[in-house]
Amino acid sequence: MKYTLYPGCTIQSDQFGYEASVRETLPRLGVELVDMKGASCCGFPALSSVSKVGWHYLSARNLAIAEKMGHPLLPLCNGCHLSFVETMHFLEEDPELMNIVNGNLEKEGLRYGGKVKVVHLLEVLHDKVGAAKISSLVVKPLKGLKMASHPGCHAIRPSDLQKVDDAEDPQKLDALIRALGAETFDYPEKIDCCGSQLAVASGRTTLKIAGDKLKAVKSYGFDGLVTTCPFCFKMYDGRQRAIKGALKDNTLDVPVFYYTQLLGLALGSSPERLGLQMNMSPVDSLVERITE
Amino acid sequence: MAAGIDEREVKFISLMLSRAVGGMNAEVCDQCGKCSSACPVSKEIEGFNPRQMIGKVALGKNDELLKGDAIWTCTTCLKCRERCPEEISPYDVILILRNLAYRAGYNYPGGYDDFIQGVKESGYISRPQTVRTRDGGKLSREDLGLPEVEGPEDMERFREIVEMIVKAGKSR
Amino acid sequence: MMKPVMVIGGGVAGIQAALDLADRGLKVHLVEKTPSIGGVMAQLDKTLPTMDCSICILAPKMIECFRHPNITIHTQSRVKDVSGGAGDFEVKVLKEPRSVDEAKCTGCGVCSQKCPTKVKDEWQEGLTTRKSIYIMFPQAVPLTATIDRDNCLYFQKGICQVCSKVCPAGAIDYEQKAEEIDLNVSSIVVATGFQEYDPAELKEYGYGRFKDVLTAMEFERLVCASGPTGGHLNRPSDGKLAHRVAFVQCVGSRSHKKGYPYCSSVCCMYATKEAVLIKEHDPTSEVNVFYMDLKVFGKGFQQFVDRAKSHYGVKYVRGRPGEIRMNPLTKDLTIWYEDTNTGDVSSTEADLVVLCTTMIARPENHELAHALGLELDEWGFFKPLNPLTNPVETGMPGVFLCGCSHGPRDIPESVAEASGAAACAAEVARRFA
Repeated sequence: MKYTLYPGCTIQSDQFGYEASVRETLPRLGVELVDMKGASCCGFPALSSVSKVGWHYLSARNLAIAEKMGHPLLPLCNGCHLSFVETMHFLEEDPELMNIVNGNLEKEGLRYGGKVKVVHLLEVLHDKVGAAKISSLVVKPLKGLKMASHPGCHAIRPSDLQKVDDAEDPQKLDALIRALGAETFDYPEKIDCCGSQLAVASGRTTLKIAGDKLKAVKSYGFDGLVTTCPFCFKMYDGRQRAIKGALKDNTLDVPVFYYTQLLGLALGSSPERLGLQMNMSPVDSLVERITE
Repeated sequence: MAAGIDEREVKFISLMLSRAVGGMNAEVCDQCGKCSSACPVSKEIEGFNPRQMIGKVALGKNDELLKGDAIWTCTTCLKCRERCPEEISPYDVILILRNLAYRAGYNYPGGYDDFIQGVKESGYISRPQTVRTRDGGKLSREDLGLPEVEGPEDMERFREIVEMIVKAGKSR
Repeated sequence: MMKPVMVIGGGVAGIQAALDLADRGLKVHLVEKTPSIGGVMAQLDKTLPTMDCSICILAPKMIECFRHPNITIHTQSRVKDVSGGAGDFEVKVLKEPRSVDEAKCTGCGVCSQKCPTKVKDEWQEGLTTRKSIYIMFPQAVPLTATIDRDNCLYFQKGICQVCSKVCPAGAIDYEQKAEEIDLNVSSIVVATGFQEYDPAELKEYGYGRFKDVLTAMEFERLVCASGPTGGHLNRPSDGKLAHRVAFVQCVGSRSHKKGYPYCSSVCCMYATKEAVLIKEHDPTSEVNVFYMDLKVFGKGFQQFVDRAKSHYGVKYVRGRPGEIRMNPLTKDLTIWYEDTNTGDVSSTEADLVVLCTTMIARPENHELAHALGLELDEWGFFKPLNPLTNPVETGMPGVFLCGCSHGPRDIPESVAEASGAAACAAEVARRFA
């Protein structure tokens, strides 16, 4: 299994703990990752709101590079993943858009041929590697830990464009959590949005939306929250302090992890190799429990 | 400086909108309220209501929407698109309206300018940073043994193209 | 001499058509797929707007069918093949074996009592179980037991046979075989009815995942005195008495995405009926009906809704709920909705949610349409010759439609059409006598 890795803007610039955990764990599951040369932003949300053409051009650019490389493209960010899926859809539906985009890609010697496959990390881990294989490699099971699954909006919706997981009842991240020996169960807010895309327009509402979810997660007795998207992670983890302030709730302490960080711990990797130093939420006690 | 929308814009808007929602017009909306009651922002902000927005689009009151803040307040969660029984996607409609508002020179959140600036400078929204760790220390990509980030090989050419596309998006 | 007429389907429409024809002196073959006639109306608790007990007004007609010298009821029977034409149809009817001698069985029910198996009871909409040998419901016509061979220990594993040991009439006959009956009839009335849309695909409503989200038919059985809880609103998950109930309209209808684009015609009214039933059980209960439009086109309908609002206190909210959530600890349900009249987006809690599901066409319509040479519309309902000028005729002379076989409609409409179809069928019989 060989994939072209596309970390994207957010992960490369300040969420590289996620990248570290992916590079640390995936090869141990038999997944080979190849780096891209000359990649750029996928355009979402950078250009999507002001120039649809610019947005699709940027995504198509990366798809074209990946197409040349010949392996399926693995973006690590939910947003990038949906961006690629939507771009492929619009380019197929709109020959005029395709012309404009390829006309510009030509200037860089690139061409979008519509032949590249895009996969989500959940698909690679759940469908290709499989929970059973992951389970068999676990040396430090997350026994007794109840982790809330947060697959994130852009991984599961819209169901007419992508089939990564069920849009209303996603279970793949749950299965992967269980593969590590942890417990998880359905909760009403599971498929709720983290609100991060709202931050650029209304900071306070974003914090409220994210905070409501953290509160709910805590109320069901979960020990922590697991996600696969850097936008969601930044919201729940990086901005947890601001959320506490906005909600006037100082007891709202929810450990937040990227799935691959927990995966790494369960496979026996040390926390430093998984970028756990960068999690701003109170993860220490859980990390200790897992690694002792 | 904001300006109005002329005839060609209205035609362009209709075309873009009908394309955006897969050929189905906002006119078929029954105003049932599934989108608005699924919407996380609707629950928090009174001025934001996807059902009302589609209602306005169906009646041709786009200008009102283009001038307002509401279209910038969508969190792109896609629940509206997922649940609409008539296959209307307020998410897609809102994205087009944003494009058109930007094109018309109406107000928009400044954060988008920062994004575009970043992309023009390095190919990405932002360059790799040295981040603060939970225990108060500092960490960089090198510290974690991660490869250097390379943007587009021909940054000049890339920058030109992005500039041109973004400029073409602004008609005034 | 006039030939017999066949009525396919033993619900209220088929029963009415059969009685009309029989009273005119015609012989009728009433062909019914299940072990008893009665159809959906027998499963309902009350009818609207009079709030009469449904089975109480249907049962006398069912008995009349049974006793009428001109009517032969063929239960557990399906039409397999048809040839010929108006005035002279050759119909092959396949009768599945009951494994019980209809002539000997007295309907005493001892066999069911002693049967050791447990099977999901379809007539009770899966809310409770029955035995492999069973009588479909207390007022079944004929009141005869039948063995569900797929679940019977004797037929599956060759053991048990308790029923034959305890039957006081010696009516059990494991050797009974399927029968093919050839019937020659002058005309045919199709009254095969409808089926309920399965709302499981509308996952945002949680049907199937949340035990206390029910379909309308499930609710009818729950609230009915002959249902699994004796008519008390004990919700399936934990038996808690449902004090707050929400109705969601247009489930599976008026949608181009999942379900069907048409309006199911009867749901606004049956939801009102069910809401009033709840209020009658418990006047302090909270009942909300979430609708898109209120279809109150029939006689007395608007007044019925007005009464539901003013006299009974049922709340009507114009807004299709975006989602239903279930608290994993309390099992209580939260409904998110927008009151589109005021623009308020909020949520309300309920102990029980009823999804007012759409009437959809039965899949068997395809086989029957093929056999009879009839056309189906894009949703699988039979097509009338012309909905305005020939609403009960079909493209096949001598074959007539009534009831929900050709689309959603309520009981009064179905019964009126049944009489219309019967008159047309009788005329064919007379013409070709």
